[in-house]
Amino acid sequence: MSSATQLVEHFFRHEYGRIVALLTSRMGTVNLQIIEDAVQTAMSRALANWPRVGIPDNPSAWLFRAASNAAIDALRHEALVSKKIAQCAESSEQSAFEQVDPLENSVGDETLRFLFLCCHPAIPAESRVALALKTVGGFSVAEVAAGLLTTSASIEKKITRAKEKLREHHADLMELGSGALDDRLESVQATVYLMFNEGYAATIGSSPIRADLCNEAIRLCRMLAAHSQCDTPSTAALLSLLLLHSARMGERTSSTGSIVLLADQNRTQWDWARVREAMDWMTRSADGDKLSRYHIEAAIAWEHSHAATFAETNWAKIVQLYNLLRKRFASPAVQLNLAIAASYAENVQRGLRMLMEISDGDRRVLRPWWDCAVAQLLARDHQKQAAISHWRDALALATNDAQKALIRRQLDAVPAHEDT
Amino acid sequence: MPKYLLIYRDGLDTPQPSPEEIQQFLAMWEGWFKKFPDNIVDPGDGLLPTGRVLKQGGVVADGPYVEAKEMIGGFTVVSAASYEEAIEIAKECPIAMVGGQIEIREFAGFV
Repeated sequence: MSSATQLVEHFFRHEYGRIVALLTSRMGTVNLQIIEDAVQTAMSRALANWPRVGIPDNPSAWLFRAASNAAIDALRHEALVSKKIAQCAESSEQSAFEQVDPLENSVGDETLRFLFLCCHPAIPAESRVALALKTVGGFSVAEVAAGLLTTSASIEKKITRAKEKLREHHADLMELGSGALDDRLESVQATVYLMFNEGYAATIGSSPIRADLCNEAIRLCRMLAAHSQCDTPSTAALLSLLLLHSARMGERTSSTGSIVLLADQNRTQWDWARVREAMDWMTRSADGDKLSRYHIEAAIAWEHSHAATFAETNWAKIVQLYNLLRKRFASPAVQLNLAIAASYAENVQRGLRMLMEISDGDRRVLRPWWDCAVAQLLARDHQKQAAISHWRDALALATNDAQKALIRRQLDAVPAHEDT
Repeated sequence: MPKYLLIYRDGLDTPQPSPEEIQQFLAMWEGWFKKFPDNIVDPGDGLLPTGRVLKQGGVVADGPYVEAKEMIGGFTVVSAASYEEAIEIAKECPIAMVGGQIEIREFAGFV
């Protein structure tokens, strides 16, 4: 008998995704809803029993068995007992006990297969993250909504549609032969990257779920990196990139929850063990002949990480890397970052010119960050009034309180900028 | 020492807890049991929402048909010197911590 405090952190959340993945591989995607309900039921039963009788020696096996039984009951109850389902229920009933131990080893496999399913081409890219968080990550709809800064209703809708798509396309885990695995790896990487970004984005709410999103992305990326078929150089580069960013995460928000800019962060407080781990992955990524955007982005993150101070950052190198990124994987955000880097590597005027070269359409995508960047460069160029006017524009465009607070602080600091 | 029955009614229209919340809730129950080992005589159990009602003349009906908010969802037996002490124990019960209602009834002591 062990105690609840001995359960590893996020035990239920991680088990949720694992058991959903396992049962789906046996009972098929068509039964996804029944399976999810069954896992939820099993967890509620654990909640009702474990405090009284103690936590079983193998809580994972207990949960799996309870969920598997509940799913079979539900299938029978719904009179869906076509021959196929009956067989399927039978085989999983028989195997439930024996499979428990061997499945410890195939955990990564099943979870990954399910992650690949969530990245089915029929599902819109922005829904993949929501579906993956809900089913693989074991987050509740409300938690996903908090993490992705949207409403529960909108997440609910996205997930429902995504599940319909899976049913429509008869998407099955079995179809994922090694060929499909390779094809879809890129989409899976993009989903993991997006999941991390959503959690990391400067549009931070104070919700601790945001950090959980980043950690979930890293957990999934580690699984990818540990899998013989997904362990490509680009996966290693992606993991390296995520680790480098996450090493700075703690210092990115102050104790009061406001955003701390890179220039003002206490570098000694960064998670240096993580930075070292990221370095190992970067070394491993330097293989093969394909240069992914993750390689370049990780290299940029590394330049920031190993500079002793903000002033000592090797901006020329960063400009070079952003130029490479722009050439191969152009995006408005890359242009913005390139301009800022150039303002440090060369001079402020050069950076300003590059910001002005960004098209109106791209500026709209970048709001309010384009306005902030212009304002900041103007301030460094001692054009106080113009800077204030751009910060006011940015303030009007800001979408959440953390952004607004950051911009207000910049506005208040304008005279100080003039002196530097 | 007098015994009290703590009755938990499903007063709150709570949505399904997330896996994370289940884990936290589990830890809260355990913390409660550990805090009052001498008072919690029987940790009790939860009750499933459906049941049977045996009526006069041996009539058995499905039920109980009561308002969802009055449905008994679980119970615990505690021993305490007084209602005051029983209330103090109940205040730290996870049900109370998450905003649920607890009915406290003293055992008559017939048996």
